[in-house]
Amino acid sequence: MTRVRNLVLGQAPHIYNSQSTSSLTWGMSLALVPAAAWGIYCYGAAAALAIASAIASACMGELAVGGLSRRFTLGNGSAFLTGFLIGMAMPPNVPLYIPIASSLFAVLIVKAAFGGLGSNWMNPALAGIAFALLDWPKAMNAWTLPRNIAGVVGVGGATPLEFVRQSLAAAAAGSSPLDILKSAGFRFSGLDHRITDFLNQLLFTRIGSDMPSGYFDLLIGNKSGAPGELSGILILAASIVLLARSMIRWEIPTFIVAVFSALTWVFGGLPYGSGFFSGDVLFSLLTGSFLLVTFFMATDPVTSPSTRIGMFIYGGGIAIITFLIRSFGSMSEGMAFAVLVMNCLVPLLDRRRAPLAGGTPLGAKEV
Amino acid sequence: MSSIRTFERGGIRVRGDGEQEEPASIVNAFLPNSAVVLLKQHAGAPARCVVRRGEYVREGMIVGRGLGPGSADVHAPVPGVVRDIRVVLLPEGGESEAVVIALEGSFDRLGRRAERYVWNSMGRADILRTVRDRGVVDTEAPGVPLYDLLADRESTDALILNAVESEPYLRTESSLLRERSEQVSDGLAILAKLTEPARLVVAVDELCIEESLRPWAGDARIEIVRLEARYPQDMRKQLLESVLGARKRASSSALVIRPSTAVALHEAIVLAKPVMERYVTVGGGAIKNPAVLKVRIGTPIGDLIEECGGFLGPPARIVLGGPFRGFPVHDLDAPVTKTSSAVLALSEDEVGGARRNPCIRCGRCASVCPEKLEPERLFRLLSNRREAEAEAWGLKDCTLCGACGYICPSRVQLVAAFAVRLRQGISKAMEATR
Repeated sequence: MTRVRNLVLGQAPHIYNSQSTSSLTWGMSLALVPAAAWGIYCYGAAAALAIASAIASACMGELAVGGLSRRFTLGNGSAFLTGFLIGMAMPPNVPLYIPIASSLFAVLIVKAAFGGLGSNWMNPALAGIAFALLDWPKAMNAWTLPRNIAGVVGVGGATPLEFVRQSLAAAAAGSSPLDILKSAGFRFSGLDHRITDFLNQLLFTRIGSDMPSGYFDLLIGNKSGAPGELSGILILAASIVLLARSMIRWEIPTFIVAVFSALTWVFGGLPYGSGFFSGDVLFSLLTGSFLLVTFFMATDPVTSPSTRIGMFIYGGGIAIITFLIRSFGSMSEGMAFAVLVMNCLVPLLDRRRAPLAGGTPLGAKEV
Repeated sequence: MSSIRTFERGGIRVRGDGEQEEPASIVNAFLPNSAVVLLKQHAGAPARCVVRRGEYVREGMIVGRGLGPGSADVHAPVPGVVRDIRVVLLPEGGESEAVVIALEGSFDRLGRRAERYVWNSMGRADILRTVRDRGVVDTEAPGVPLYDLLADRESTDALILNAVESEPYLRTESSLLRERSEQVSDGLAILAKLTEPARLVVAVDELCIEESLRPWAGDARIEIVRLEARYPQDMRKQLLESVLGARKRASSSALVIRPSTAVALHEAIVLAKPVMERYVTVGGGAIKNPAVLKVRIGTPIGDLIEECGGFLGPPARIVLGGPFRGFPVHDLDAPVTKTSSAVLALSEDEVGGARRNPCIRCGRCASVCPEKLEPERLFRLLSNRREAEAEAWGLKDCTLCGACGYICPSRVQLVAAFAVRLRQGISKAMEATR
């Protein structure tokens, strides 16, 4: 027999697509780097420290679980990504025990305890963030302004969503969120004023309308908030890469954005007393963790449905619950909870009858 | 040229980007010093050995007699002395007797002008008997004898020449279409006479060059259909779906035939030659000079690789057949058979070295499945020994095309699990008929 050494005797197929589970998770982490860099630029070492401690504790947790089961899985990048996402949701200057505890909760309780990668039914990062929001509501709502607005690091200032929420009662009926921000003294950057004035002169005044200042700061990330929710444009750029390389499926984000925009447009004006069909869609999309959660967390394949119809219901459900929490709930930001609620419904959405079971309840039983 | 058609759902584009590809030209391989002729080169039971050790066999002499349906006669591909009759393991699993012939003596056919027989005057029964006696089988694995395919098909709704190559590396059929166009069209004409098809279709992929379709230019009887080079376009179910439509697919009695089968048929009828040769693609990233070779059956694959310049680097896998459905081999002495379409030596990069991970329920497997199955669910059911439920979810429709295994980012061994279960089913069915 003429044998060749080191041959792998695997079954067909003998070639594989280059995309692997680890390349997907590491790729997602890579896509987050620009947004993280912007966050660190805005808040300095405090933000970097929060992100680093979240990542480090997530990886330590994964390592500890690996040590117990003798299966080391740090290389698949899942723990790193979970820690990264949790770190991105932390307010700057947060006490470091919060990201550390949240990451450990995510990796040890939400993921490992339910069987590790692929078996968890709740998104670990979101569960970790929810854990922090529920346990330390005050620390998780202590925001500071970025350095390019305040001039120095560490000046306190609420996020746009929180700001609107607090000033809503005092505002005149019928004013838009941006009006409220302006009249309550929310600080926008000089750059935003200049760009808005320029666009108004060039375009909007000619067609008889006027763009309020503020959108550019919201889009670029000149506002207070967690690193992950600061810069809409960097998250959107990352999402284009993720979609173009088929690293995430388009159905879930499309439906979240579509349903959420429609709801905001139709009913979004109600809390402001400006009636139907007057909601500010752009403001809602660009504030809070909406974009980050939509593209990086709601698309987590493990905790989302596997059928297209399921994905549509899942995406729509997230949008509806987020809208309800934001407009009528007790929190200014409720996206994490919306996704976690829909995570619970995934087994139901994936439930179907076996096509060849012939009317017997055989297929109704889920594995 | 008419528009490019394809099957309804799933599949993977792994070849080309719309550009037409020049097929490789065919090279005659050297004769083997010693040919290992398997007595099972077809779907059914191994042929019965009719030679003895030490006996001299002439080129084309029968060495194994087919035993009933599914089984076909096997002939000596080279003249020589039977050195050994031994049992060898088959790449697809199981084992078979093999006759080892050491090359010796003179050739009766090689180098002589071939006599041509006029098949137009032969009757159906005559042609069928000749097809059986010359050991012609469908060149696609598992190698159903052509006689079995033709015997009960006095008429058919379609005869389709399947020249589609949707897997990477494989060039055998497109090369034959261009360089052996007369043999292919003759073979097709013989089949048309035997099966009286309502539609006569030549199916090629979008990458097929116009020149290859010369023999049928201006022939009103023949429909030329261009299909998308989307894997598994070349498999029967998808081909019928693309050509005839999804609704007609199941009920069709169409005969689907490869150009290489048409060439073998042509040689058997017109040149009165039993099957002694096979056209084989030798390729893959670890092969120095990939080529399409005309090879004597029984030639060890190591000889072919050597003839193509040897290995470029250490191969990670050697495959007999295509990259999606072929069988792994670890022994360079494994011989070429009537159904060996390719010998591939794949490098580490091509195989994709990523580690296995747990399923992350991404759903890519279901989105590429051309049979609308949910491979992930089937795998979960089979892992939990819930075979009956897996069948309720359509496991038996699985064609083992391998698309789900290719796309899986966690490298879950989906296809292996399905293959084990489906082959168990087949062997049980065979036991029941005994």
